[in-house]
This record gives sequence, C-alpha cells and structure tokens, in this order.
Amino acid sequence: MKTRLSRRFMLRGLGGVSLGLPLLEIMLDTKAFAQSAATPPKRYLVFFDGQSLGADNDPRHNDLVPNTVGRNYDLKSALLPLGALKSEVSVVSGLKIPWAAENGGVIPAGGRRDGFHVSTVSPLLAGVRSSASSTAAMGPTSDQLVAGFLAGPTAFPSLAYRVQADWYLSVSAPYGRDFISYRRDSSNRITAIPGQVSPRQAFNALFGNFTPPGVDAATRAQIDFDKRSRKSILDIVRGDTERLVPKLGAADKIRMQRHLDAFRDLERRVDAIAPPETTSCVKPMDPGADPMIGSPQANNGTENTYSQNLGYSNEEQRALLFVDLIHMAMVCDLTRVATLQMTMFQSHLNMFPITGQATDCHELGHGGVPGGTMAMSQGIAWHVKHFARLVQKFRDTREGNGTMLDSSAMVYVFEGGHGYDPEGVKQNSSHSTENMACLIAGRAGGLSPGQHVVAAGRHPANVVISAMKAVGAPTETLGEVSGSIPQLFSST
Amino acid sequence: MLKRLVWCLVPLLGCSGIIEGQRSISMEEAEAVGVSGLRRLTRVELEATLTELVGETQPLARTLLPPDPTDPFDNDYRLQLASTTLVDSFEELAKQTAERTVADPVRRAQVLPCMPTGANDATCFRLFVRTFGRKALRRPMADDEVERFMSLHALGVEKNAFDTGVTLALRAFLQHPEFIYRVELGTPTGQTGVQGLNGFHRATRLSYLLVGSTPPDWLLERAAAGDLSTRDGVRTAAQRLLDDPRSKNQVERFHALWLGYHRLPHAAQLTAAMQAESDALVDRVVFDRSADYFTLFTATDTFIDGTLATHYGLTANGTAPAWTAYGSAPRKGLLSHGSVLSQGVKFADSSPTQRGIFIRNRLFCQEIPPPPPGVNVDEQPTSTSPCKKNRYSAHASVGGCKGCHDAIDPIGFGLERYDRQGRYRTTDDGLPQCAIDGEGDVDGTTFNGPTGLADALIASGQFEECITTQVFRYAAGRREEPRDHAFILRVSKQFIASDRKFLDLMVELVSDDAFAFRRDEEAL
Repeated sequence: MKTRLSRRFMLRGLGGVSLGLPLLEIMLDTKAFAQSAATPPKRYLVFFDGQSLGADNDPRHNDLVPNTVGRNYDLKSALLPLGALKSEVSVVSGLKIPWAAENGGVIPAGGRRDGFHVSTVSPLLAGVRSSASSTAAMGPTSDQLVAGFLAGPTAFPSLAYRVQADWYLSVSAPYGRDFISYRRDSSNRITAIPGQVSPRQAFNALFGNFTPPGVDAATRAQIDFDKRSRKSILDIVRGDTERLVPKLGAADKIRMQRHLDAFRDLERRVDAIAPPETTSCVKPMDPGADPMIGSPQANNGTENTYSQNLGYSNEEQRALLFVDLIHMAMVCDLTRVATLQMTMFQSHLNMFPITGQATDCHELGHGGVPGGTMAMSQGIAWHVKHFARLVQKFRDTREGNGTMLDSSAMVYVFEGGHGYDPEGVKQNSSHSTENMACLIAGRAGGLSPGQHVVAAGRHPANVVISAMKAVGAPTETLGEVSGSIPQLFSST
Repeated sequence: MLKRLVWCLVPLLGCSGIIEGQRSISMEEAEAVGVSGLRRLTRVELEATLTELVGETQPLARTLLPPDPTDPFDNDYRLQLASTTLVDSFEELAKQTAERTVADPVRRAQVLPCMPTGANDATCFRLFVRTFGRKALRRPMADDEVERFMSLHALGVEKNAFDTGVTLALRAFLQHPEFIYRVELGTPTGQTGVQGLNGFHRATRLSYLLVGSTPPDWLLERAAAGDLSTRDGVRTAAQRLLDDPRSKNQVERFHALWLGYHRLPHAAQLTAAMQAESDALVDRVVFDRSADYFTLFTATDTFIDGTLATHYGLTANGTAPAWTAYGSAPRKGLLSHGSVLSQGVKFADSSPTQRGIFIRNRLFCQEIPPPPPGVNVDEQPTSTSPCKKNRYSAHASVGGCKGCHDAIDPIGFGLERYDRQGRYRTTDDGLPQCAIDGEGDVDGTTFNGPTGLADALIASGQFEECITTQVFRYAAGRREEPRDHAFILRVSKQFIASDRKFLDLMVELVSDDAFAFRRDEEAL
C-alpha cells in the first residue's frame, strides 16, 4: 500500500507547533488532506428555514428583526435561542425579492413569479429569476458555486442534508420543495442535489473509513484489505457503467452520466485517506438507527392528528445529529461546504412535538393556531435554536489562534418575508417577499458579526453574496444579483 | 384460484401472432412504438428482488435508500434523480446484503451453483459469477465481463477464503448499473431510435409489472429458449406469473398508489383496517372471482372488522375482519371505503374542491389546471354563512374561478355526507344547523354519495379508457404521450371485449406488439 502522510498530520504530531517543516513530496498528493493547521480552510454553510416571517392578517411583520440597529441588538422572540451568541450572528433586515406584478407582469431579474410557494427557490438560492411555472432553481446555487473554488482536495466537495424527513402529505408530492441545492451537471443542465435525510447514512459516508487510533497490525492489515476490496468493486462497477453510457439513447445517456458522476464522486472519496484523529477531529458517536419516518397527516388539519406524532420523524433528533455531523466534517476538513435544509418549502412538518402547537409549520403562517406572527415565531425559534447550536459548536472549536468561526461564513435564509402578496392581492400576508431577513454568522474574510443591519430594498441574495465573498468568491455575483452588503464587513 | 379463460382475447389475430421484436419494421409500425427510458428499481421492487436473488427478508432498501418520488405511482422514472446520496446508499445496501447472504448457510447455498474445492477454485468462481450475474443483471454475461470479476476472486485467494470473493462479487453486482436500472439495449429495426426487445427485456417487463420483482429462473430460461418471442409464449408466461401470490401484492399496490391510500393520515390501526378493507375487495374482484372490474365499484358488502364497522356506523359481522353486508346503508364498492374517502382533505375537513380534483384526476383521467393568479389556495373560503356548501359556493362564484370550480366542486359536494375518515354524517362537523344534502353532479349527471358516483362513473363510458391509462402509466413507468394514445385505446377496447377482466388488461399491456419494441427518448 502506498503510504500517505498529510502535512497536517505531521503538524498535529508536533503538538500543533508550526515549524519550518520540510515539504515532503508525498505530502503534495492532491488526494491527501493537505491543508496546514496554521491556515485553516474557509467554510461555507447555507441554512434553510421553509417559513416566512409573519402570519396572515397580522400587521406585525415579524417578531425577529431587532428594534435597535447596530451592535448589541435586542432579541425578539424568534431569535431568543441565540442568547449571548448574538455577538456572533448578524441580522440583515429590510430585504426583498421583487415579483412579476410590480414589473408589468414580467418576472424581473433576480425576481419571482407572483404565485408564492417555491417561487423563491431560484432567486433566493441561485440569484436567478424563477421560471413562470417550474419549482426548480434556474441556475446553480451558492453552495455549488462556492464548492467550485473552495472544495480543493476535500473528500466531499459539498454536503447536502435535510432535517425534515418526509413531505408528510399522502395526496401529493413535494415537487421540488425538498431541494435547496442545484448544480450544473456534466451535461450542462441544472440538476437538483437531493439532501441526505438519513443521519445514519451521513455518518457512514463521512466517518466510515476512520481508523481507530492505536490499532494493532492485524487490524490495520484488515482495514487495508477492506479498502482495496472496496476499490476493486468500485472499479468493476465504474468500468461497466462507462462502457454502458455510449450505448444508450440521448435521454438515458444523461441519466446514466449523472449516476456515473455521483459514482466517481464516491470513488474519489474512497481514494482519499481519512484524516488522522486529533484533539478536535474525532469520529463522532455512532448515531444508531435513524428515527422512524412518521406517517403523513391530514392536509392542513388542526385537530388531533397533530397530537398523534403523525407528520413527525423526530426532526429534533435529526437536527441535532446533522449539526454534529456538519461540524465534525468541517473540523476534520472532510468538507468545506454544506447545506442544511431544516424544513421544506411550504413545510407540513407537525409542530406539536416541537413547540406544542397543534398545527403544521406551514399553517403557522395561515392561522393554524391563534397568535398570528407571535405564534409563528415559535416555529422560527426552533430553527434558530439549531442554527445557534451550530454556531456555538464552531465557536467552541479552537483552531490556530482563534476558533472555527474565524474561517467560516454561515448564512440562514427563509422562504419568505411578510407584507404584500401579489398573488392574493393582499397586505400582511405570509405569501410575501417583502420584509425578508437573513442571519449571517462567522468571521471569514473580515465578516464582523453581531450587528443588526438594515439593508432596505436589498435582495436576500446580497447577504448570500456577502457570505460567498467572505470565503473568497472571485466576484460579488450570484446569478442575476450583484453586490455584497458592506456593513457586514465593517467593525464599527 | 379460479382459472382465467381469457388468454385469447383477439380471435381475429389468433393466439400465435408473431411479436418477435428483433426484426426490421416499417416506418408506420415504428410510429406506434412508445419511448422508454432507464428505470431505476423502486425501493419496494428492490426488496422483492433481493428476496428473490439472495433470500433477503429485511426491509433494507426502505431503511437505506432515499424515498421514491410518488406521483401517484412510485415508479415514474422521469421523476427519479441520481445523486451522491443514492449511490452511497446503494453501496451500503450492497455491502450489508452481501455480508448477510454469505453469513447464512442457506442463503449462501442459494447463490453458489458449485462446491468450491478450495479458496482458489477459479472454475467454481467463474460459474458463480456467470450464474448469479444472469439473474442479477437479467441477461447473460459475456466472457470478458465474467473475467473482470476475477479480480475479486484474487482477493479471496489472498485471504485464503473463497467466500470473501463471493461476498465482494455480490457487492459489485448489487450496485451494478444494470442491476439498479432496467436497461434495454435493443437490436436495430431499420428505424432510427427504435429497437427491438429480446426475451430477457420482455421477461423483465413482465415480471416487474406482474409480480413486482426480478424474473424468476424459469422465466429467464424461457427467455433464453426464445419462448417469449411470440404473443402466445408471453401470455403463457404471464399466466404463470399471475399464479404467483406476489401478483396479488402487486395488484393491491397498484390500486393503493392509484387511489392514494398506500399511506393514510390516520392512526396506524385505522389506517391498517382501511387498507385491509380495500385490499380484500381488490383481491376478490381481480383474483378470487376474476369478475367484471366494475364490481369493484358496485360490491354490496365489505371486508371489515368490528372496530371499522362501528367507525362507519355499520352493523358489525363479529369482531374479526369479515365480509359484512352494507344492507340499507348508503354505500357500495371501493368509493365507499374510508381509504378513498380519506382523499382530498383540507382545512381539517373533507374539501369538496380537493375531492373533486381527485376524482377527475384519478377516475376520469382529467387534468385540472392550477388556479389562476390572484388566488391564495391556502386560505379557507369564507362567506357570511358558516355552512361549508355556502362558503364554497361563494368563493367559487367569483369571476374567473367559476368555470373550473363548477366542474370540480359539485363532485365533492356529492361526497360531503362522508367525512374525511369515511364516517357518515348529515350536518357539517360541529355545525348542526348546516344540513348536508349530499347532492352532487358530474358532467350533468346528478348523484348522491359514493354509490351514485360509482354509477355515474360506470355510465360515463370513460372509465375503461381511464383505468387502462392508469395501468399503462404503472406499466411504462411514465405518463402517456400522444404517440401512446392509439395503443391505450386498443388495449382499452380489448379490456371491454374481455368483460373487463383486470388481469387481462395487465397482460395485454405487456404482450401487445407495441411492447416488443422501444424508442429512445430525446435528450431531456
């Protein structure tokens, strides 16, 4: 077996002391984990909450945006879980995605059709105007663009995880409400990247090839044999797939090529050597079997189906596990880019086991329980709690002279805002992209968190672009939207 | 099981009509050949396939693989999306299945056609690869393909363990593209983009449609012997597949997916009781009695336990599940089942609009256009009256809404006396002042309740073509295209001519000439 030593491994072995270490040729193997401890890689994360900010017919647009502008902002109920972590998180308010009706019926650049649900996928995540009917993003999403320049030699160019495990309606399908990541595939088409919903599978993929420290020679030989076996298998399957592709018709060629792309991705990861365990990079606890997938619930019902744990697959536990996995995957530099879709667009996740509210996440915006925007904010707060936990884990991980947050940019986006609904021609609607807001955490690239920034009339993609800029994006552009928000980088 | 006497459905053509797919065809013939694309095995198909191939009984696919997109069938290949998640999951599935298989002496014996003389018995390993490969890939393997697997044998030799090589080979087969996908590499027909299918392709189509699993050994043998190159041969094979008890599950699943009750928004016990009720009726009509398919919608008794009888307000026939007469209760057939009446629920109640759309989509095969701009479908209809019919009538009377709602809502109004769990009622939930008249209308035919709707459906003259269309979608793994219409119409007419025997409909779909060929799809 070819021995590979990563430069990082050597540095770790020296107790993190950065010496003028000779750069051995073997360390330049691109498949190895080559980054040095002195300069941690940048990390990028998109966190998605399938909710708007306020409820129908409630004049209160949200209970999230602070009253005060600037630093040490006040915490409204939706952001309460941030607690002291607010110094690590900025709030950007006043955002808007434009729509067709205000542009003479033509969907504007970076805008959306008037019909609400899933119309924000494309402008919010890819910066490209939605199509008139498709629920798909019309361009690659920010995570994939960032992975293009940030992934480097990591085993996973990007991770895509989804907490909400099922659509929870038996009468329909999610039709794209379940995707937040899209890439340009090898046939030059924009293709959805379905999120992994199984924490168990995610764990296996990330940490399955970790070698426990201090194993004896026999065990090490078996691990080596297993890896060679696995590669031999993959080699046969890839070879046969490659021979099959040219024999297929036009559409099938594209389908099989997509499969082959994903397969090569797997092979590349098997080739990559597992990073050595260090004080911070450790194989997480085995998550055990996945929680059971819950049954669907009555569409928009408000009665007892909510107290029966229908429409719920222990998303609480799933969120904890995915946050743990993303954190450790980035600590170990298995990946530098991740998306975490907490809830689907128009989410029918049962809120009862989570907040005690007898309704689903989507109906919170439509009066599913009394309390309007204040009730809805409890659902947002659940999402914020898990975002805060991720931020905290990054902050609590020492790296170099600081913490992991110093090299990270994490952006939290919502499906909608609150205000005018051009489809229903109504004010104070949850089907609105007025008064949108985003959260952004991390200090990469000079981001200066802990502020409330009012960016009136700017696009939420401008916040996404700021996060992309923070991790080194060469241009301040996402699809049809340009420009970052300078205040986010200002320490005053 | 009762015999089915209908294998010769079209006397004019005779039972020995040649359907040999590997030949030249005219442009006119080619024009009738529908497209087919790569179909990934669904999770349910995969589990059945692993049971057949390696005796796996654990629901590993449902545990490990992402869910299948369902709209309403779970096998629409145009909705399937390859991804890293999928490929990773298949690798894990293959590993777990292979290890469990070789660790179990009975299952190991099932996959090994020979007794290895030692770890380095290359002859036995080759035979195993060739034998198992034909089953897993559903076609014979070429010599060079078999040789490529010998690298895995070498790893077993290195470990001095024959079984190690077997395990590794199983892992390779179970994530092989031709295992995961149904690949149809046909032979040229002289017409661009149209290929003839061979016996193995036909065996695969037959088996996955009729028993939801990979072709059994006997069917592969018939494919190899050329027995599936005539319509007669295909029908004989189809009959044998339909004698396999798995065909019942397959027909039950078709109905549950078609009418949306494979999952129900109720507590587990109620859900199971409702599904068992509908499965029992489907079994009786389709298999036990081989009856006119219309009787599925006109049956005057139903298979329920005491709890479900009480739920419906019927007189129970004991506590255990039993056929129970409806008597004077206003119910008959499948449309009276809780499974079907649970469809089209919104705002915690039955929705006349959603039920109307459901009936039009699934039973009349009519697509309803989405509501026009300016409609927030998440808002409950409101009016000065608290009563549901008034509220729905008020919102449906608004300008542009009227046209569509007039074609949808009256169907739902006709089912309003049955709540979202199929219980009978005469007033709106919680509103005793709002009497429900239960009067409905579909295309000018008035009806009251599911019994009247069933009659209207049968009288419409459209249902035979619609059910044919639905079975076509399930069989082809996609929605129909204009090119398929003549084929669907032809099969539908044969269905009527066969006194609407459902199994004949399924067999016709796989034995028709149009199914002996395939057409490449244009680029996506």
